Amino acid sequence: MAIGTPEHVATRLFGGSLRSIVYALLISGALVEVYPIFFLLMNTQKTDTEILNTPFALPTRLTLAGFKDVWTGDRTGMFFGRYFLNSLVVVVATLIFMLAVSCLCAYAMARGQFPGNAALHQTLLLTLAVPAHALAIPLYFFMGRLGLRNSLMGLTLVYTTLGAPFTIILMRAYFMRFPIELEDAARIDGCSRLGVFIRIVLPISRGSIAGMAIININWIWSELFFALILMNRLDMRTLPLAIAMYKPAQMTVETVLQLQYSAMAIATIPVLIMFFLFQQQIAQGMTAGAFK
Amino acid sequence: MARADPTEPRVGGGEGRAASARTWQTKLRDALPWYLFIAPAVILLAALFAYPLFDTLRLAFYKWGGLGRQEFVGLQNFRRLFADEIFWLALRNSFIFAIVVPFGTVSLGLFLAVAISRRLKGWQVYRIAFFIPVMISGVVVATLWANMYEYNSGLFNTVLRGIGVGGLAQNWLGDRKIALWSIMLVPVWQHMGFPMIVLLAAIEGIPQDLHDAATVDGVSEPQRVWYLILPLIRPVFASITMLQIIGAMKVFDLVLVMTKGGPAFSTEVLGYYVFETAFRSGHFGYGSAIAVVMFVVVFVIAYTYVKCVRIEKIEY
Repeated sequence: MAIGTPEHVATRLFGGSLRSIVYALLISGALVEVYPIFFLLMNTQKTDTEILNTPFALPTRLTLAGFKDVWTGDRTGMFFGRYFLNSLVVVVATLIFMLAVSCLCAYAMARGQFPGNAALHQTLLLTLAVPAHALAIPLYFFMGRLGLRNSLMGLTLVYTTLGAPFTIILMRAYFMRFPIELEDAARIDGCSRLGVFIRIVLPISRGSIAGMAIININWIWSELFFALILMNRLDMRTLPLAIAMYKPAQMTVETVLQLQYSAMAIATIPVLIMFFLFQQQIAQGMTAGAFK
Repeated sequence: MARADPTEPRVGGGEGRAASARTWQTKLRDALPWYLFIAPAVILLAALFAYPLFDTLRLAFYKWGGLGRQEFVGLQNFRRLFADEIFWLALRNSFIFAIVVPFGTVSLGLFLAVAISRRLKGWQVYRIAFFIPVMISGVVVATLWANMYEYNSGLFNTVLRGIGVGGLAQNWLGDRKIALWSIMLVPVWQHMGFPMIVLLAAIEGIPQDLHDAATVDGVSEPQRVWYLILPLIRPVFASITMLQIIGAMKVFDLVLVMTKGGPAFSTEVLGYYVFETAFRSGHFGYGSAIAVVMFVVVFVIAYTYVKCVRIEKIEY
């Protein structure tokens, strides 16, 4: 091991008791962070009695019964299959729409010389400090007038608007570093601005655009406030809303907790899978966001 | 010299005016495609962001039950607000939230980032373990913790009774002296991995020779962190603290799922009070007034930050 590597430094500095204390904190901290999630997943496999009486015991068998009940809603009256689909549609539609709108705008702001460019940038920065609660009341009535309440399209438009400023600001910074020579060559060949953007700029920026998708996917999947306000029809709920409003049709089901945990797992498992697949990109994307 | 249109009256500056009109036209022609590029985003933001924001400001001066006529009442909503005990409780709780939670997440995050940057054994595992909760839906986390806090059969009280200190078992969310603290523990648990990952990136961005220079004999680890690392990562540190403060000011999901502002309004926060007033009680004018106050508070915090702690680049 070379002198000066972090490992070497660590062994020298973290000597004796400080070192053991740091390890103890890290290990117990990591357990505290992960155990509740393990607990959640474990409880999808246990009956209510087991969950209550032996909370720490591992499940004795593997079963998909809980998932099946909340997914189909046959016995529970809560159709998490439907809610999952609603959430999925909103996430995918929002990402497509938001990335399209944001990339176009960000590219124009990075390359174009037009009156209002700087003002637009300033305005976008200001919008980041506006809490969504300050928009909610008029938006509720406005979406009602447009017939976009209880509509996945309506929710998609709202999420697109909420996510666009941040995405535009980050994409603008990216496009400003983009080599202009490539575009100039294409312009000389007679390509229009839009042509250059679609044929040259977008394909090269794939990685960056995917990064933007990863930053945004998480909050859209988890968003509760506007879903709660705009989606009051039972079959129009998204996953977070359905979990927050979880209330099984009493009398018809004897298990309540197992089903609740199954519902929560339906919202969590896709996130965990995504996390383990794109760990590096997620960490990078979130860091880039905070550095701005 | 380019000659102006012969019909142009030959008065002083006429030629200049024509030229400037032409450049203005060329400018517009050059700018037009760009305006088409930004149009979708601008239209969307105007309709679903700017318009609702200004309408909230307007509605704050009206009395409105959602249907029927909006009655202009001047400053009455704000007068009522300042006499409203629940509003002051909500404001106070939001401030407590915005101080305690970021303090917890950022200081723990810094500790973790320093430890992980030292490549202690198993650092990859810690990095993943602390980051996993960040990814999970706020609603799921809130529901999970509400179940763990439950008085009779929740995980916490079961453990306390199990190890023979049942006397310490609490009604975590039902006791108005501790409910707010019980709620605040949850975002600290969930989000400490976020400052961790960001600060870690900042620490690893410091050139190695500076690390080496600081690793001289006799400098303890806390001294190294305080005098070397912190000054060098100050912009990122300030930025992540700010994000955490603004996020904590806007807390909503946790309160809705765990306590609905109770017991006795001890966990009422601004975000939830806006929702309750407008969408549960139907006072849309009054709700807008609360939203305006919330907007001003968040905006002032963010603005002060931008002005005072400017994110300047650190030169190594």
